[in-house]
Amino acid sequence: MFYENKKNLYLLIVAIILFAFNSLNIFYGTPMVPDQHWAQKIFYLHVPSAWVGFLSYFIAMISGFLFLSTKKEKWDITGTACAEIGTLFMSLVLITGPIWATPIWGKPWIWEPRLTTTLILFLTYVGYFMMRAFGGNIERVKKTSAVIAIIAFLNVPIIFYSVQFWSPELQSHPQVEMNQQPTGILIPFMISLFVFSFIFFVMLSYRKYVISINKNLTNNV
Amino acid sequence: MDLLKLINKELRAEILNKEIIITMLAFGLSIIVIISFTSNLSKQIIEAYAPGLFWLMMLFVTVLGVHRSYAYEKEFNAIDLILTTPIDRGLIFIAKSLSGFIFITLMQILIIFPYFIFLSIDINIDFFPLILSTLLINLALMFVSNLISGISMRARISEILFPVILFPLISPLIIAATNITNSIINQAPYIEWQVWIYLLISILIVFGLSGYALFDFILEE
Repeated sequence: MFYENKKNLYLLIVAIILFAFNSLNIFYGTPMVPDQHWAQKIFYLHVPSAWVGFLSYFIAMISGFLFLSTKKEKWDITGTACAEIGTLFMSLVLITGPIWATPIWGKPWIWEPRLTTTLILFLTYVGYFMMRAFGGNIERVKKTSAVIAIIAFLNVPIIFYSVQFWSPELQSHPQVEMNQQPTGILIPFMISLFVFSFIFFVMLSYRKYVISINKNLTNNV
Repeated sequence: MDLLKLINKELRAEILNKEIIITMLAFGLSIIVIISFTSNLSKQIIEAYAPGLFWLMMLFVTVLGVHRSYAYEKEFNAIDLILTTPIDRGLIFIAKSLSGFIFITLMQILIIFPYFIFLSIDINIDFFPLILSTLLINLALMFVSNLISGISMRARISEILFPVILFPLISPLIIAATNITNSIINQAPYIEWQVWIYLLISILIVFGLSGYALFDFILEE
């Protein structure tokens, strides 16, 4: 079992403690921004979720390259795990973004370039999972999934700039000025970023384990 | 030489069957009729939406045409026969894209007049930039759709997977195509829409090179 390994168990406990500390810190340890009130606090979750989502998809792309060039099973497992975790965090981005936008911009969706890029990537990965589920021949599906992961990430700057030029009048997210924020906001934000990254790596190792067990079971049936 | 032989094969197959162009044309005309019925709007609104509707129609027509082109290969196992020859597999992608480019351009020549007549569009156009940009957009359309069609070709539910994966990935191209055509129709100065040409060239480079490099992995057994 995965958690019989003491190292994995300790990592899980640390992740739970960090998550609890981060949540409490966001609620009670961060200042209230006058014009945004509680809505602003969602950014301590929204931006780290987006960071982890894009990091996952980036690793899925690298794994795709490595799988195609080496044909080693571990890169397919890493790519699949990253695609799953990335899609989970991208879903969080797509949920928290409109929650923040509703009181601030007056409506939940305004085709803001970053959110739109996230949505398009999310939809591309829906296709990725459909390919995994209904693609047929397993060996071929591994290759085609790797190719989708590569082109999905290569397409990110193209999507971002196309949406930005398409709707230049739209506001950007406030994280553009995050480095100019007072330390009361910046430090909890950086802590949240670290906690989310840590949770990502814990989730990744667990998910890789589960996928490899499933593959072994499928191969033995 | 190999590239010319492959293009020749695609063109000869189409001259014999005429399936792709006739299918694309019939489908395109049906879409125009449906658009006419569902857009009982003022002339000004129709003219404002004309470029977007045109490229939307082209997207649907491309899905049909490109899918048909790969269905041939699947039906007669022709792709397996080509793979037994010592031909660079990237060239298969280029040949499919170039022949598709010829088909869609021919189809556009045939369909553009019904499009203007049925929708009662009356606009003065500077033809040279419009033709040049349309040719570039057609090529980009074919690079993206052939890459995705190659990916989904041998999947169990290829006819569903192809548009599901294609539509999110191709959305930047549709945005760029609509803006370029719209700017030319409105006689906007080039400086205002050159950014879309740069974006279009980026799509051509990214998907052209990705398709050429990755097709080998997509087709291998």
